Amino acid sequence: MESLFVQQVFNGLIVGSIYGLIAIGLTMIFGVMKIANFAHGDFSMLGAYCAIYFITLLSGWTGWLGSLIVAAAGVGLVGFFVEKFLFRPLLTRWTDIDIIMLSIGLFILLENGARLVFGTAPKMIPDPFGSKGVNLLFFSTSLIRLLCFLFSIACILCLQLFLTKTKMGVAIRATSQNRNAALLMGIDIRFIYSLTFVVGSALAGLGGVLYGTIFAVFPMMGAMPTLKAFAITILGGMGNIRGAIFGGFILGVAETLGGNYISMQYKNAIGFIIIILVLLIIPHGLFGGKERK
Amino acid sequence: MKGKLCKIVWGVVLCLAVFISVGPGMAADPIPIGILGPFTGSLAFNAEEMKKGMVLAVDEVNAKGGLFGRKVELIYGDTEAKPDKGVAAVKKLITRDKVFVVGGGYASSVNIATSEVCQNEKTPIVVAIAISPTITNRGFDYVFRTSPNSPQFLAGMNDWLEKVKKPKTVAFLMENTDYGRDGEKIWSAQSKKIGAKELAHLYFEIGDTDFTTQISKLRELKPEVTFNIASTTEAALIQKQAKELNFVTQWIGVGGQFTEAFFKMAGTLCQYAMGSSLEPTLAMKNPIVADFVKRYEAKYQKARPGIFSSQGYDNIMVIMDAIQRIGKLTGDLQKDRDAIRDNLKKTSIELTQGKIEFDKTGQVYTVVPSPVQVQIVDGKPQLFIVYPPERAGSAYQEPLPWDKRKI
Repeated sequence: MESLFVQQVFNGLIVGSIYGLIAIGLTMIFGVMKIANFAHGDFSMLGAYCAIYFITLLSGWTGWLGSLIVAAAGVGLVGFFVEKFLFRPLLTRWTDIDIIMLSIGLFILLENGARLVFGTAPKMIPDPFGSKGVNLLFFSTSLIRLLCFLFSIACILCLQLFLTKTKMGVAIRATSQNRNAALLMGIDIRFIYSLTFVVGSALAGLGGVLYGTIFAVFPMMGAMPTLKAFAITILGGMGNIRGAIFGGFILGVAETLGGNYISMQYKNAIGFIIIILVLLIIPHGLFGGKERK
Repeated sequence: MKGKLCKIVWGVVLCLAVFISVGPGMAADPIPIGILGPFTGSLAFNAEEMKKGMVLAVDEVNAKGGLFGRKVELIYGDTEAKPDKGVAAVKKLITRDKVFVVGGGYASSVNIATSEVCQNEKTPIVVAIAISPTITNRGFDYVFRTSPNSPQFLAGMNDWLEKVKKPKTVAFLMENTDYGRDGEKIWSAQSKKIGAKELAHLYFEIGDTDFTTQISKLRELKPEVTFNIASTTEAALIQKQAKELNFVTQWIGVGGQFTEAFFKMAGTLCQYAMGSSLEPTLAMKNPIVADFVKRYEAKYQKARPGIFSSQGYDNIMVIMDAIQRIGKLTGDLQKDRDAIRDNLKKTSIELTQGKIEFDKTGQVYTVVPSPVQVQIVDGKPQLFIVYPPERAGSAYQEPLPWDKRKI
């Protein structure tokens, strides 16, 4: 029974790391720009489709690694244009409703557009290792799952380094903490907005490739990661990156353990139960603190 | 001022013109048939397969002049595989599009709801793809079904379990829907009958992608047979994740999962998986099936007809046959609907799934699925009937541990 527990925790950590990666992009964009992007998961879907088409060009693990880069770049580019032409004109008006409506509209557009362009048949990003299994002491998994897990941890670490050690990263954090003070310090807010949205979208694209490698790629695939990312963001505190990282792991493990020991039927409900509990008891989230109003 | 008035007048004229042109009762109007299906959502691919089969049939009939010189027109209602959306879609088909009969339909939960609406509105409905017995066992006289219900679907498999496999332990992994729960009920009863111990009943939701929680638990319990009542995407992901977690069992599904997309996704990982199926390519000796496959492949390049294309084809053929036998339409919608209903009761037609005749409840009783298994031939997964012996195309193969498989 002990090995089952370890196995379930590990299953949860893997899924949680991918959800966390997607959620970090969402929470960054929210923290800096105050945009709740409901189309965030669909950027993941776009990334996954980028990978599907790119991976046929190169074979083996180089194709897989290359597809990650292409997906991040491609979705980052989409993010750049979406921010520049869709969100920016609305930001000056400072009403939340039309930004939310825009992102919901975008979500519908991307999903149906994908259905039209890519077709409805579910696909898989081919596993360069042919689902090769790895059996460790207490649990087993596949090589690719382990790689996806390590890769998303690496991405998260790189992002942390970027945000703490580089000037641009510090500028992003400063804008997130206080927009006006940042403006007074001579930070180019418009550039920071653009950068944040591009980085956030690229992370969603990467998350999409990992998600599509482990699971499947289909036009509707974005909906579930969007919901999970919102659950994670609320759990960890809106706009808080550390919160999103730990929130991802907590949600992943809570789901698998809850599914195993409480009830499989309510596995997906656990995320929403967490949202409700957090909003009732600690509305700022686990790592939200009180710095934001 | 004059210009403005002129514009208004033109506007009114245009509006009137539009009204008149869409008005009812013109002789060359097409005959509308409503088709329900989850054309969007995670089951969209399967609905698309059904639609392809239907369009093939309708295009062929229309090319020969249609019915009574009128073309047949399919009007689609999207159910999104959700009962509430299905009810809204079928109400629109019946009241606004004024269809003579409703066909198609996919997913048991949706069809249980939509068939009740049709019964109340006195409009015949012929369900194409759904296996819950509830759909036809409520005494509704406007409801028909061209696919076997779950007891019929699983009869051959149950026979095989009792006489050949004789498992000592079983487990269940299924969709949390009527489709999943009805299959569970039947197999649970069968397990009790043959004395197999039921180790676990695990559920998942349509659209779930991560099954590692469930499979990890199953691996701990080591069931000989695991009943996996799922659709294409979920079933393929379960096969893949079973390999990743190094879990070996005899998977048994209902058969609705063995689509073209399933084999593309799962590849050789689905070796040894079993199901009850009506795949049209299985019985190629049958000239009707062979002809259907040939026409299908000619119309949709490179596509291979799966069980849903064949079920969709048969469904619409049964409907058009019933309309044809009226002789002529009266123009009174309710009278025509009743006449079609009466003709449906007398259906007897040989199609790709076999002969179609309805019993008193409107359920087809002449279509018999057999247990099939995925076996690898020349590195490619293929389906073979493995029971009963007189119909078997290959012998049953016991699933090997993952490291002993050659692929």
